[in-house]
Amino acid sequence: MPSAIETEGLTRRFGNRVAVDDVTMTVPERSIYGFLGRNGAGKTTTIKLLLGLLRADAGTARIAGIDIATDRLRAARRIGALLEAQGFYPNLSGHENLDLTRRLLGLPASEIDRVLDVAEMTAHGRRRVADYSLGMRQRLGLARAMLGAPPVLVLDEPTNGLDPEGIADMRGFLRELPARSGATVLLSSHLLGEIEQTATHIGILSHGRLVLEGALADLKAGLAMEVAVETDTPERALLVAREHGFDVARDEAMRDRGVVVARFAAGEDVREATSALNRVLCIAGGVRIHALAPRQRSLETLYRNAALSAAPAAA
Amino acid sequence: MSQFPAPRFATALAVEAYKLRRSLALLLAAVAPLLIAVFVFFNLLRADKGAPWAISLQTSAAIWAFFMLPMSVTALTALVAHTEHGPRAWDHLRALPVPRWHLYAGKAACVLGVVAAMSLWLALLTLLAVETAGVIKPAVAAIGAPDIAGYLALLGRIFLAAWLLVAVQLWIALRHASFVPALAVGIGGTFFAVVATSAKVGAVLPWQIPVNQLATDPLRVQFTLALGCIGGCAVFAAMLWRLSQREVLG
Repeated sequence: MPSAIETEGLTRRFGNRVAVDDVTMTVPERSIYGFLGRNGAGKTTTIKLLLGLLRADAGTARIAGIDIATDRLRAARRIGALLEAQGFYPNLSGHENLDLTRRLLGLPASEIDRVLDVAEMTAHGRRRVADYSLGMRQRLGLARAMLGAPPVLVLDEPTNGLDPEGIADMRGFLRELPARSGATVLLSSHLLGEIEQTATHIGILSHGRLVLEGALADLKAGLAMEVAVETDTPERALLVAREHGFDVARDEAMRDRGVVVARFAAGEDVREATSALNRVLCIAGGVRIHALAPRQRSLETLYRNAALSAAPAAA
Repeated sequence: MSQFPAPRFATALAVEAYKLRRSLALLLAAVAPLLIAVFVFFNLLRADKGAPWAISLQTSAAIWAFFMLPMSVTALTALVAHTEHGPRAWDHLRALPVPRWHLYAGKAACVLGVVAAMSLWLALLTLLAVETAGVIKPAVAAIGAPDIAGYLALLGRIFLAAWLLVAVQLWIALRHASFVPALAVGIGGTFFAVVATSAKVGAVLPWQIPVNQLATDPLRVQFTLALGCIGGCAVFAAMLWRLSQREVLG
């Protein structure tokens, strides 16, 4: 699959602090790429490097194959951005704000109506931005990013500050965006749930380094499967299961409910292994089981594993 | 997207003018000359007899060049720069496929355009104020005919001489997101221009250069006009180069 965004060894320092450290990332075309990392991990700095707002100390960044450092104007025509600081003029209407950018981009006036329609903001276009809710501003920011139909959209924390309803609304909108606009979306966030429900691919940034990248489904498939066993006698369950070679541990988060978690390697037949565990605990061990349920492979696990594996090197 | 033409500098200028809609900067541009005209009007009504047109026109130009222009430029440049600083719009603008110097040059040309418009607005309002005062109180009607061409030429020279002042104030206002540095420098500069009116060094003080267009010494007038205009161009060029290179870290 061709790449919409490619970086190679991208590095940026602020004094002695390395904000972005040798990042090599690939965002496939027409994907929704969830760019994850906690606050301060280097996401916004990476985005600023991709937009040519900051200069890289080392490495390259290409947008649709064009190097942002050597041909910024051409690369910038292929990328639309919704940044954390939206930068709207409150004294102007939404329509007028879009018109300013439209003029600078040299686009026809009809572009405004098109993007307002895509962002479902047509009804509010004539109101002053000062009167907009945060959710409406975010949508207007999306509309502005889509002016001229750039093949790449970079959205930095688009759900920041939105209420739960606004987040759900934005999530649905983002999921449909590649189909609606034909664009590749780089979606930066520190909210795992948001990325898990929206992204097709992810990249996890930790301490400025890209510690994990790939198609979300593939990465999840590579995770160990977990089965939760709820019992009155968790200590006995642990003992019996370990005696029979199972990889088990107490679920500390559910200690009061006596939950034990068994982990099975990726690729193992989980149904078969779960039946075996059930037989061992009930028949051989005499453990009374209340519930036995496989757990979903989650992005949270992926994120935790990636962040943990990165932590010692970063320290 | 590539099928659309690359925007020209004129577009950046038009966009800057567009941003002034319903802005405080535009309100300031309308009100500052109006205050001078109001002063001229009430000053005439206080008198017992009429004076030549030249006196009123000279008074209006002097107040403008001496005090109101430096203060207005200070406030105007701060407000125009705050159009971007306030909503943190620089990142958005600088990420666009537009040469960055276009953005700053558009802003500089827009501010100069507003100052030029303020000068013309002042001329119009002053003429109206003197005429209106004469209608309300015929005893103070201005004597003779106004030398409108001479008055406009004087305001034009004051405008050209103010370019250095505009360039210095705009650079500071664009460089710092806070109002404080621009206002401190502008108020400080105007203060020294007022208290050291007769100082020789005033000829090179950007905040005092415009008022030198009212000097009786033609050499001083020409020197300050050249310094204000050419110096302004040089500072504008340096500003465009420096700001275009600068990264926005905030």
